[in-house]
Amino acid sequence: MRPMLRLPIAAAAAVLLVAAAPADSPVGVREPDGYWQGALHGYTPKTLAGATVVDAAQVARLIEEHKPVLLDVSEVDRKPAGLPPGGLWFPVHRNIPGSTWLPGAGDGDLDAAAQDALKARVADLTGGDLERPIVTYCHPDCWGSWNLGKRLVTLGYRKVHWFPQGIDGWQDGHDTAVSRPDPSWAARPKATAGQ
Amino acid sequence: MASSRRTTALLAGLILPTLLAAGSAHAAAGDTDSQRAERWGEIKQQIFGDAKIQSGGKAVKIDAPKRADDASLVPITLTVPDKDNVAELSLIIDDNPTPYAAHFVFGPAADPSELKLRVRVNNYTDVHAVAKMKDGTFQEATEYVKASGGCSAPMGMSDEEAMQGMGDMRMKFGETQPGKPVQATLMIRHPNFSGMQMNQVTRDYTPARYIQKITVSYGDKSVFTMDGDISISANPVINFGYLPDGAGPMKVTATDNQGGHWEKSFPVRSASN
Repeated sequence: MRPMLRLPIAAAAAVLLVAAAPADSPVGVREPDGYWQGALHGYTPKTLAGATVVDAAQVARLIEEHKPVLLDVSEVDRKPAGLPPGGLWFPVHRNIPGSTWLPGAGDGDLDAAAQDALKARVADLTGGDLERPIVTYCHPDCWGSWNLGKRLVTLGYRKVHWFPQGIDGWQDGHDTAVSRPDPSWAARPKATAGQ
Repeated sequence: MASSRRTTALLAGLILPTLLAAGSAHAAAGDTDSQRAERWGEIKQQIFGDAKIQSGGKAVKIDAPKRADDASLVPITLTVPDKDNVAELSLIIDDNPTPYAAHFVFGPAADPSELKLRVRVNNYTDVHAVAKMKDGTFQEATEYVKASGGCSAPMGMSDEEAMQGMGDMRMKFGETQPGKPVQATLMIRHPNFSGMQMNQVTRDYTPARYIQKITVSYGDKSVFTMDGDISISANPVINFGYLPDGAGPMKVTATDNQGGHWEKSFPVRSASN
């Protein structure tokens, strides 16, 4: 049943792209000088200097041809206060298969310890190859993936791809896989009180 | 994956989801269906224990838009052809962080053949309906729904505005004919805050405030009781059927998780001639 839903990709692509595209900013958001320090959910620029902006089809092609490092910075579902004890709280996270999930890595104000941990983790994932393609994403209207993309450009990675439609754009035509926060990123030393 | 490991993972997921980092971070491509089946197995175990649930039967059917226009208002229709033998209906939205959206227990004044409600959908997901039959057996139906972001979608107004008139109820009655079931629509004004919605101005999360229980009775007979959850859309609307035997009124009570309690009686026009 589900494979049938994936078939009319070409026909539906135009519609899907519109549906999944980040809403256009009413004011034309410009790239901030540094990292975005405001709320992570909000209108983003159309560009990221030093990186390539890609859509789902381009991400799929990249995966097929270049095996990029896929970095998801979606937030972990936060358990709301006021749920009754004993209720079923059972979040699950799906993203692009093969991704490394780094919740919190898109924050604009990563402390020094987190920056070091991130730098080391990405060096590990790329094998230290600054030419290795990398894709950063989360959800539409998410500054987290923009910030991480910018951080990687600053670290010297030359093939950074920012995928602003993120999981929502990807799952329209492609499989997702259940993911868990990257263990080594989750185990990073915390310099300040947690999130 | 061994079932004991799955159980451990499940328990960890219930308690400390953010620390659940031990599993593989890299899942192989193309295993979506098996992962969805595995998740449904875990949820089923949590809700129904070891009860055997039959799939592929005709006791219950789900209708939902394949692609929802608004993930915070996804209309779901549960149809029960075998209405005389159904005792309870459960609606589960597998990939919502609180998957167990609603549980209906039908009373003697119910006509459970069709039930409609509107829900929030967090991500592309399987939706399951499980019917508990009067003989104690269970049957399930599945539908796949494409919608995302429904649990955290802001209401587009301030919390105060969203709470105005909280608990107000209205009821619309369909055509009444002697001896025939009647369709009715219950509307309750209530923001049903999910606790995952961020106030765009203050950047705080609005605490969860949602309707936990609704009871509907006709005269002295129960039509249904519903246990609800944060997956039910704001301003809940429920279409249901009832048997208009004897005099009304239709009485509704609603209770939320912060102690809100509301009651209203609706006079029922009896079938003429």
